[in-house]
Amino acid sequence: MTGYILRRILWIIPVLWVVATVTFFLMHAVPGGPFTEERPLPPQVLDALNRRYELDQPVWRQYLSYLWDLLHLDLGLSFRGDRDVAEVIRGGFFVTAQLGLLSMLLSLTAGLTLGTLSAVNRRGFFDYLGVAVATLGASVPSFVLASVLIVVFGVELGWFQVLGWGGPTHVSDFFDPSAWNLRKIVLPVVALSALPTAYIARVTRASLLEVLDQDYIRAAYAKGLTQRTVVLRHALKNAMIPVLTITGPMAAAFVTGSFVIESAFSIPGIGRAFVDALSQRDYGVIMGMTLFYTAAVTFANLAVDILYSVFDPRVRYG
Amino acid sequence: MNRPIHRFMLLVGAAALLSLFTFACGGNSEDTDKPSPPRSGVEQAAPADQQKLVVHGGEPMFLDPQLSRTGQDIAIERMLFRGLYRIVLTEDGDLETQPALADGEPEVDGNVYTIRLKAGLQWSDGRVLTAADFEYSLKRGCSPDTMAPYQYLLGMGALNIVGCDEYLMTMGKSPEEQAAQRDKVGVKALDATTLEVTVAAPKALFTTYMSLWPTYPLRQDIIEQYGEAWTAPENIVGNGPFVLSEYAPKDHITLTPNQYWSLTPKPQLQEITIKFIDDTAAAMRAFQTGELAVAQVPPVALADLEADPSLAGEVIQVPSPRLWFINLQLGNEALSDENVRLALSRAIDRETLVNVIYAGAYSPATYWVVEGLPGYQGDKFDSIIGYDPEAAKAALAEAGYPDGQGLPTLKLTVVDRPDRKAEAEFLAKAWKDVLGIQVEIEAVDSRSMGQIFGTGQFDLLPGGWQNDYPDPESSLIGNFDTGGMNNLRGCSDPEIDSKLQAAAAEEDNSKRISLLQDAEDLVIGTLCGVIPLYQPSFVFLVSDGIGGIEPSGGIDASLPGDWCPECWFVKADE
Repeated sequence: MTGYILRRILWIIPVLWVVATVTFFLMHAVPGGPFTEERPLPPQVLDALNRRYELDQPVWRQYLSYLWDLLHLDLGLSFRGDRDVAEVIRGGFFVTAQLGLLSMLLSLTAGLTLGTLSAVNRRGFFDYLGVAVATLGASVPSFVLASVLIVVFGVELGWFQVLGWGGPTHVSDFFDPSAWNLRKIVLPVVALSALPTAYIARVTRASLLEVLDQDYIRAAYAKGLTQRTVVLRHALKNAMIPVLTITGPMAAAFVTGSFVIESAFSIPGIGRAFVDALSQRDYGVIMGMTLFYTAAVTFANLAVDILYSVFDPRVRYG
Repeated sequence: MNRPIHRFMLLVGAAALLSLFTFACGGNSEDTDKPSPPRSGVEQAAPADQQKLVVHGGEPMFLDPQLSRTGQDIAIERMLFRGLYRIVLTEDGDLETQPALADGEPEVDGNVYTIRLKAGLQWSDGRVLTAADFEYSLKRGCSPDTMAPYQYLLGMGALNIVGCDEYLMTMGKSPEEQAAQRDKVGVKALDATTLEVTVAAPKALFTTYMSLWPTYPLRQDIIEQYGEAWTAPENIVGNGPFVLSEYAPKDHITLTPNQYWSLTPKPQLQEITIKFIDDTAAAMRAFQTGELAVAQVPPVALADLEADPSLAGEVIQVPSPRLWFINLQLGNEALSDENVRLALSRAIDRETLVNVIYAGAYSPATYWVVEGLPGYQGDKFDSIIGYDPEAAKAALAEAGYPDGQGLPTLKLTVVDRPDRKAEAEFLAKAWKDVLGIQVEIEAVDSRSMGQIFGTGQFDLLPGGWQNDYPDPESSLIGNFDTGGMNNLRGCSDPEIDSKLQAAAAEEDNSKRISLLQDAEDLVIGTLCGVIPLYQPSFVFLVSDGIGGIEPSGGIDASLPGDWCPECWFVKADE
C-alpha cells in the first residue's frame, strides 16, 4: 500500500510538467498581452514593461526560464503590483478553502440525508420531495441562485449580509472570534452547496436503492434488525463507493473556488483571482493556479482511491 | 417499519435548518456601516467614534502615483498625497485650480516658473516637507528607471519641463550619462520652500498640470530604502489627509487620518474602508443591505432606483468626463472617403441607442469635447453629423455606393460583453436598414481588443476617451494631430494640426479655448477618425447619512467627490 501511494505521488511530477508545458504555450498563443489595454500605453512604456518581465524574449526561451524557476520552486511575480504568485495563491486559497470546506460539509450532510430519505421512502412523499429538490438544485444556475438568495434573504429580509467573506483572512486570526461573522458566511455557503447537494443526493439515492435490493439486506431484516440499524450501519456504507467517486473531484473543485459565487459575494478567493488573471493575461498567476489545480485534483483522486479501500474491503492495492 | 428511520432523518434535517436560522437571528450583529438617515436641516457631524465609512471602489494596481494609470489608483492617491495645486469645485459649480501646497500663484519670468511652498508642511511621519521632495519626484517622473506611463504629462505632452524627455531617452545608456541628463532636467529646489521649474514654452495650464498625480511629492529616502515595497502600509509615507493603515489584496483597503496633515480642512472621518467589488450589481445590493455607504451601480438601474421611494433620494447621476465613439481607420479605402463616414454617422439614431441599451442613463452626443468642460459646444454638430436617414443615403450615393452597392464589408470590432455586443448589433442594424450595407461583427476580449486597437488593425472599433484633466486639450492633442501618440486612426489634416499647435502655444486662456473649439469643428466636420455616440454617466448610491460628498464628473477620479476626501463626514443622528 505504501508503495502504491508513493508511486502515485511520484507520478504527479510528469503530470505537472505536461500540464505546465501545454498551458504555457497555449497561454502565449492567445492574442493580446498583459499590457495591451483598451487605451494603449505609450510605445516606450510598453517596450520597457515587456522588457522588464522578459516578455520580449522568444516564447521557447521564456518557457525554459519558467521551468528553471519552477524547479527552484519559484512561481514568479504577478503583473499586478508585482506580488509573489505563491502569495496570491496562498492568500486566495485560505479564504476559498474555508468556503469550500464548509460547503462540502453542508453538501455531504444535506445530500446524504436527502438521498437516504428518498431511497428509504421509495415512491413515497419524501422520495418525490427529495428528487424535486435535487433536480432544482442541479438545474438552477449558481448565479441565479446567488442573486435570489441575496435579494430575498439579504436585501428584503435583512437576515444575512452579502458583501465579502465572514471568516478570517489571516491564518493567525483563525481562533479570534471577532474575525468570524456568521451572517456573511451563510449565503455563499448555501449558494455554493446547491449543485453538489443535488448531485450527491441523486447518486446516494440510486446507489442506496441498489444496495437495499441486495439479499444480505433482506437477511438483515429477517434477523430482526431495525430499519435504522440496517440502513445506517450496513446499507449506507456499502452504498458509499459511487458517492466517494464524485466527492474526489468535487473536493478539488471546491478547493479551487467557484468564480461565480466569489464574484457575486465579492469574496477574495482564488476562483475570482484565477478568472481575473486569465482576462488580464497575468501569466505568472495563470500558470501557478493551473499547476495548483492540477496538484489538487491529483491528490484528491489519490485520497478517494485510498478511501475506497477503507469502505470496500475487497479493494486492495499492491 | 418505516417510522423510526423517517423520524430520525427528519430530525437531522430539522436540526440543520434550525442552525441556519440561528445564525440569521442570533449571530454577530455587525450591522456596521450605514448610518441612520438624519433629518435636521443643518449638517452636523456625528461624534468621532461614529466617523467611519465603508465605500465601494476598485482595487488599485499601484499606489505609487508615478506608476498609476487608472482612476481607482488615483482616487486613493489623492487621499495619501497632495500636490502643489489642486482643482476644486467652487460653490458656483465651476472648476477652479487653487493652490494646495503652494503659497499662491507661481511667479512667471519667461519660461521659468518659481513656486513658493506654504510654511509648516510635513510628511505623515512628521518630517518636514521641502522643495527638494518636489525636485526628486519630478525628476523621478522623467526617469527611465521609473518608466512612468504618464511621463508625457511632465514632458512634451503637457508641462514640457526642459530635459524631461531627453532624460527618459537615456534608457539603456550608462549610469554616468543618465546622471548627467538628470542634472539637466529643469527642476531645482532653490531652498527649502522655493521650487523653480523651467519649461520649454510658457503654459496657460501650468498650475492645472501641477495638480496632477505624477507631480505629487515623494520621499527619496523611503523609496530608496524599500524599493518596490515602499507603498506597503508599513512603509509608505505620504503628505495627504489620510494614511494607509491596512491593505488586504482583493478585499479592501483602510485609511485613517494623517495627524501631520498640514492643510485645511482637517479630515473628520476617522476611518475609510474601500471595499473592492468588481460587479456593480453586487455593490448595489450591498448598499441596500447597509454594508456600503457609497456604491457605484449599473447605469441601467437608474430608472428603477429613481422610482423607488426609499432610494430615490440617494441616487445621483454624474456625467463622466468621457466620450464613447466609433474609431474609424482612415487607412481603409472605403472609410478614407469623407462621404462614407458622414453616411455612417447620419444613419445612427443615438437617442434610441441610448434609450434601448442604457435605459436613458447616458446622453447622446454629436460633440467631441464633453459636457462639464470649458469649450463644450453642445448640439452644434447635430445638423452636420446627427441622425438623418435621407442625408445619410445621399452621402453614400455621393461617395459612389448608391444603396450600399459596391461598398466592401466593413468589420466592427467590439469587446465581448453583453452591452457592447448589443450596441454592435444596434449599429449593424441601423446601417443595414438605412444604408443597405453589411457589417461583420467581431467580438474579442479586452486584452485582444487592446492589441487590435494598439496596432491600428481595425475598420470600425467603438471605444472611449477619458480626459486626464478637465480641459479640452486633453482629448484633442494627441488624438488628431498627425503622428499624435494616440492617433491610431490615421487622421492627418494640416488645418487641424495648425490649430492644435497654435492652441498649445497660446498663453491667453480664452483664445486658447477658442482655437481648440476650431479644432473640434474640423474634427467633427470631417469625422477625422471618430463618430461620436454618447457621453456616459456614472450612477452612484450615496447614503443620506453622509455629508461633504460633492461629485464632479470633471475632477473625480473614480469615487464621487473624491477630489476632496477630507470634506466627507458622517452626519449626526436626529
